[in-house]
Amino acid sequence: MITKELTVANKLGLHARAAAKLVAMASNFASEISIQKGERKVNGKSIMGVMMLAASKNTVVNVNIEGEDEQQAMAEIEKLFTNLFDEEE
Amino acid sequence: MALIISGIGVSRGIAIGNVHLLNRGAPEVFERKLEEHEVDSEIERFVSAVDEAAEQLRGIRDTIPEDAPKDVATFIDSHLLMVKDSMLSKVPIEIIQEEHCNAEWALKQQRDKLEAVFEQMEDDYLSTRLNDVEHVINLIQQILKDQQYTMQMKLQPLKGSIIVADDLTPADTVVMQNQNIAGFITELGGPLSHTAILARSLGIPAVVGIQSARSLLKQEEQLIIEGGSGMVLAGMDENTIKHYRHIQREQKDAQRKLGSLKNISAKTKDGQRISLQANIELSEDISALKKSGADGVGLYRTEFLYIDRETPADEAEQLNAYKKIIRVLKGKPLTIRTLDLGAEKEFDPDFQGPMTQNPALGLRAIRRSLKDTDLFKQQLRAILRASASGPVRILLPMITSHNELTQSLSLLDLAKQELTEEHKEFDADIPVGGMIEVPAAALSANILAKQLDFLSIGTNDLIQYTLAIDRIDDQVNYLYDPLHPSVLKLINLTLQAGRRADIPVAMCGEMAGDPRYTRLLLGLGLQEFSAHPSNLLEIKQIINKSKISDLEKQTKKILSTTVPSKIAPMVDALNQ
Repeated sequence: MITKELTVANKLGLHARAAAKLVAMASNFASEISIQKGERKVNGKSIMGVMMLAASKNTVVNVNIEGEDEQQAMAEIEKLFTNLFDEEE
Repeated sequence: MALIISGIGVSRGIAIGNVHLLNRGAPEVFERKLEEHEVDSEIERFVSAVDEAAEQLRGIRDTIPEDAPKDVATFIDSHLLMVKDSMLSKVPIEIIQEEHCNAEWALKQQRDKLEAVFEQMEDDYLSTRLNDVEHVINLIQQILKDQQYTMQMKLQPLKGSIIVADDLTPADTVVMQNQNIAGFITELGGPLSHTAILARSLGIPAVVGIQSARSLLKQEEQLIIEGGSGMVLAGMDENTIKHYRHIQREQKDAQRKLGSLKNISAKTKDGQRISLQANIELSEDISALKKSGADGVGLYRTEFLYIDRETPADEAEQLNAYKKIIRVLKGKPLTIRTLDLGAEKEFDPDFQGPMTQNPALGLRAIRRSLKDTDLFKQQLRAILRASASGPVRILLPMITSHNELTQSLSLLDLAKQELTEEHKEFDADIPVGGMIEVPAAALSANILAKQLDFLSIGTNDLIQYTLAIDRIDDQVNYLYDPLHPSVLKLINLTLQAGRRADIPVAMCGEMAGDPRYTRLLLGLGLQEFSAHPSNLLEIKQIINKSKISDLEKQTKKILSTTVPSKIAPMVDALNQ
């Protein structure tokens, strides 16, 4: 299993569209992916879960990935965070 | 009897059609207890409603017009993911099994639970995303209530009607475009709401923010909406309808004619090529820019990178924003105006200072930038780095004295030096221009011109400062007059200074975008107009029908006229 701390840096936080991109990306992988903010841990493949994290800008989340393609999944997800979910400003 | 209602016009054009009231809020839901043997079929009913909802969303996704903002598809994708999310598609099944209740009731209970979570969220933007969840839940509820329910609204021929609804989802707007509806009115929403943006890009006249639209307007009643001003007209007589049909036809004809000008360059009949540039701000303006056939961007406002957001954009984000426009422009020049913040538009509490009586005369624009040189240099660095990707010009706002210019230029040199040391690429000869928007600058334009590569006249502020009139003050705004002899003199002085120094002079205020003044400005010698993209084709049409040599004599006469009231008729005569 690998774990990484990532910061939500896009302006609007993990709202519907950003969450959709994250979930769509996560669903491409076989690994189990969870995202945790404080006490709350949600399935990274569930849009409702991700939205309900209420991760606004500058929130730090823990991404846990376990499975055969965990390395690749983490790399792609990290890229999404750094690219601010390709949000149009 | 005629009824006039006014709302917020968000998408221009006139629509005439019959009202189609759309009531698509949540249907009322009641609890019903199930017998043991009914549970399985109830679950089946729920599952097929969820499938149907997903199917309909997918269908709509496939019909999104190609030129719609990219966000629209992502929006509908997120709704699709929600429909299939276990919190909406599985949890209600468990509730049906445990409580032996009907599907509607199970879904409602889950909805209430979700609502409670969203309401606790501290971030306003995220907590309002409950709307998205509700759009999806309502869709499932509607299908549960009526198996024939369809978002496509195929059952009613909507062609030519005016939709009146509380609010519309992006999916609704896409559907409407495909059904050729005439226009729409909503109770909620503002000029920046998703639906408003979409309406503009699809060219559907729309008025939003009419709070009780659905109780004021009757089903099938004939309406006229004027999407520019936000006016809605009901119960009008035949003559009024005829009148508006006439205007509608004229607008459409004019639009078609203008569209054909897009790929022709602006050139007067005596062969003078005129540069037509666009003023832009938000990413929404980019699609308008593409349609305008502009020769470049004459004014890119950068305030949005600093205000109405949590923290100002850093160098990398700015660079990205600039590069995005450079890509769209494909080699045409981009003029970036540095930060024009002022006392009333400010993000940094350290600079808000005492609420001054006269914000327009306070610490703003270049003055503010020179007080916060770290922030200013960061922007200059981002602009310089962008200049490695395409032609970029820097425009300094509100220059008043030679001193400010010298300070800004040495800061620019410092930024260049830093970038050279960091081995970052930039255009070493990046042109630097100054806004002429203070009378002092216009009066000494010849001196400023020696240090600058171009000038750009900002008429809005120039008029306000010259005539000492605050345009948002209702008691004096009638005195705001672009044709005041003093204003024309200052414009003329600036143009002369540019010719003497052999540098280009542009105009980027509202006056440049107003077709009434195009010929006057041509006669004065203006060769670079910068205006909102939506005004450019109309200006081009006038330019291409004008001959500068015919205008010069008359504009000279106008310049020497001292009675303001005589000037307006002379300017109008130029347009005959």
